[in-house]
Amino acid sequence: MSQQHTITALVQNEAGTINRLVSMFRRRGVSLASFNAGDCEQEGYSRLTLLVDGDESMLHQTLKQLVKLIDVVEVEDLAADHGIQRELALIRVDPNSSEVEHVKNLASEFEAKIPKETATSVFVEFTGNPKDIEKLIGALKPYNVAEVVRTGLVAMRTDSV
Amino acid sequence: MRSGAKIVMEALVREGIDTIFGYPGGVVLPLYDEMLNWPQVKHVLVRHEQCAAHMADGYARATNNVGVCLATSGPGATNLVTGIANAMMDSIPMVAITGNVNTWAIGKDAFQETDIQGITIPITKHNYLVTNVDDLPGVLAEAFYLANTGRKGPVLVDIPKDVFTAMTDKPFPETVTRRGYEIPGAPAQEQVDEVARLIAEANKPVIIAGQGVLASGSMDLLRELAEKAHIPVINSLLGLGSFPRNHELSLGMMGMHGEATGTLAVQDADLVMGVGIRFDDRLTGDTNTFAKNAKIVHFDLDPSEVGKTVTPVAWVIGDLKLGLEMLVPMVEPKRHDEWVAQVKGWQEAYPLVVPEGKFLSRTVLRALNEHTKGQAIVSTDVGQHQMWTAQFYKVMKPYHFISSGGLGTMGFGFPSAMGAKFAKPDSEVWCVVGDGGFQMTLQELQTAVEYGVKVNICLLNNGYLGMVRQWQELFFDNRYSSVQMGSPDYGKLADAYGVKFFRCTRVEDLDETLRQAREFDGPTLCEFVVEMEENVYPMVPAGKDNSTVIMDPDLPKQPAGATK
Repeated sequence: MSQQHTITALVQNEAGTINRLVSMFRRRGVSLASFNAGDCEQEGYSRLTLLVDGDESMLHQTLKQLVKLIDVVEVEDLAADHGIQRELALIRVDPNSSEVEHVKNLASEFEAKIPKETATSVFVEFTGNPKDIEKLIGALKPYNVAEVVRTGLVAMRTDSV
Repeated sequence: MRSGAKIVMEALVREGIDTIFGYPGGVVLPLYDEMLNWPQVKHVLVRHEQCAAHMADGYARATNNVGVCLATSGPGATNLVTGIANAMMDSIPMVAITGNVNTWAIGKDAFQETDIQGITIPITKHNYLVTNVDDLPGVLAEAFYLANTGRKGPVLVDIPKDVFTAMTDKPFPETVTRRGYEIPGAPAQEQVDEVARLIAEANKPVIIAGQGVLASGSMDLLRELAEKAHIPVINSLLGLGSFPRNHELSLGMMGMHGEATGTLAVQDADLVMGVGIRFDDRLTGDTNTFAKNAKIVHFDLDPSEVGKTVTPVAWVIGDLKLGLEMLVPMVEPKRHDEWVAQVKGWQEAYPLVVPEGKFLSRTVLRALNEHTKGQAIVSTDVGQHQMWTAQFYKVMKPYHFISSGGLGTMGFGFPSAMGAKFAKPDSEVWCVVGDGGFQMTLQELQTAVEYGVKVNICLLNNGYLGMVRQWQELFFDNRYSSVQMGSPDYGKLADAYGVKFFRCTRVEDLDETLRQAREFDGPTLCEFVVEMEENVYPMVPAGKDNSTVIMDPDLPKQPAGATK
C-alpha cells in the first residue's frame, strides 16, 4: 500500500553529497515529496529530512540504498506521526481591504504570526505539521492567497533518545 | 613538501599498483611528467580512453585486485564513462583518475572542462573532486579502500591541474576509516543456523554461485559445502570459474542462455541457495515463477540485494567467506543420490549440441576448450559468442573467465583481455569476440603490438550482429533491421598493424589454426568465418518463466513442458 514515509539521515558534507543523494532517488524511480537539508550539531555533517511516497518494499529498498551511499552515516525511518514533524510556511495573502481583519483573525486562530503587512498584502508565517499548513492555506483561500513558500518537512525522533 | 602529481604516484606504489592504463592530455601533463620518475609503475598508452577503463577492468578481474585507469579532462574523462559504468554493474574494483581544469576555471566552461564528478555519480561507488592538495593523500587512500572493500566497485578521483602542481607535506593516513562506511563482517549466527537447518531438511537443493564467491575468495569453501551436503552447483555468468566445470556437481551456467539442466533444476528444486549472486533478470526470468517449488536462501554482503528481485525465506548478510566458514562445519554430511541422478539425467537428455558438417561458432569454441583444457584466461565480448563461450569453454580456474555481465558492453572483450594479460603475463589469454564488438575497439591492436601483449583473438565472424539478429528472427518475424554487418579485410588490417593473422573457414583447418596461434610469440588475430545464421540455445525469452526454456531444435528429445 502506497503511503508517505518520513526518513531522516545524517550525512557527511562533501562536494556532490546532495547531488548524490538526489541522484539515487531519481535513478531508482523513488518519488521525493519533500527534501530538507541543513547544518546540525556535528561540524561537517548535515541532517536531512526526506518525505517519500511508496509502499513498504520500496521504503526498505530506499533505506538500504541510502545507507549504501558512502556519504550517508545513518538513516532512520520515522513513521508518519512519529516524533516531532514540522514545516514552516510563508503565505502572502492579498485580501480586499474589508477582509484584512478576517485574515488576521484566521492567523491568530492558527497561532500563526504576521511578520509583515503592506498596503496590499498580509504576510503570514506558520509553523506546524504539513496537514495544519494545508488547513491554514485552505482557510485563507477565499481571501486571495497570492504566494506560498514552504521549507519542507523537518523531523526529529523523541523516543529512544 | 611534494606535488599533487607526486602524491598520485606515491599512492599507486603504496597500493601495489604496477600497471595503469591511460591517455595523456592538457590538464594531466604535470602527472605525466612526474610519471617519468617512477619506472616501477608501467603506464600503458591506449588508443581510446574507454579501453583504458576496460583494460583496468580486465586487470582487476584477473587479479581480484584494483585496476587503475587515467584520463585527461573533458572528452578524456567522458570516454571513460562506459568502462566505469561497466565496472559498477559488475562490482569491479577500479580507481579512475581524471584531470580537470584549474580550480579557478571550474564552472566557467573552460576548454575541455566537464563535470565528470556529476556525470559519474550514478555509476561509481563513490567519487571525489579534490580542490585542495592537502586532501589528496587522504582521498586517494580512501578511494583505493572503498574500491576494494565491501561490495567492490569503481571510485573516481577528479583532480584539477593546479592541484597536481600544488605542494603539501600532508602524509598519507596510516589507516583509512570512514564514518558510516563499515566493511560487512561475519553474518549473524542465527542466520547461518537457519540455513543449516534448511539444508538438513532439503531433498532437492541447488546452489547458484556467483561472482561474490570469486570476489571474496570463497571457492574452496563453496566446493567443501557442495561436496559435504551433496548439492549441485550452478553458476551465474560472472560466477563461472568459482567452481571447476569438470566437477561432477557442476551444472554450468543457468538463465536466459544457460544450460537447460541448471535452469530446470532450479525450477524443480526444493532449496535454492543464491551464493554471491544478485538474482538478475537474465538469471531468474519471470520472478513470479522463478524457483517456484523452492525455498530461496540468499547469501550477500550487500543488504540492498536481499529481497530486491526475489523474496528469499532466509538470508545470510555479511562477508561471504566468513559466512561459509561458519556454515560448512554445521552442515551434516549428506547424500542426495536420487536428486543428483535426476539432474544428471537432464544433463544427458539435454546436452549442449554442436551439429556436425557445418562450421559454427560452437565448433570453434568447443575446439578452443579442447586445446586450452579450460586453463586459459578467456575474456569475451557481448552477444551470441559470449553465451557460447560460457557454455562451451569449461573454465577450470577462478578469475579465468572475464565477461561484461550487467552492462553488456560490446567492445569490452579485446581490451579486457589485454588488461588480463598485463596482470598475468605468464597465463595464456584468449579474447573471444564477434565481428560487431571487435570493430568497436580494434584500434587497441596497435597497443597490443607496441607492448607485445600476447593475446590471441578468436574473432567469430558471421557477418551479423548475431544476438540482435536472433531476436529479430524469433520475436520480430525474421524482419532483419540493421543487423547485417560488413567487415574490413581482417588480413590486411592485421598486416597494417603488424599482428599475426590466421583465417580459418573450415573445420579441417581449425586445430592447426589454434595450434599455430597458441605457439606464435606475439598477439594473433584468428578470424573464423562461421555460419551466418546460428542461434544460441537453450533460450528463455526475456521475462518469461524459466520452465518454458526453448531447447535447441537440433536436440533429438524435448523436455515435457518445453516449447520448441
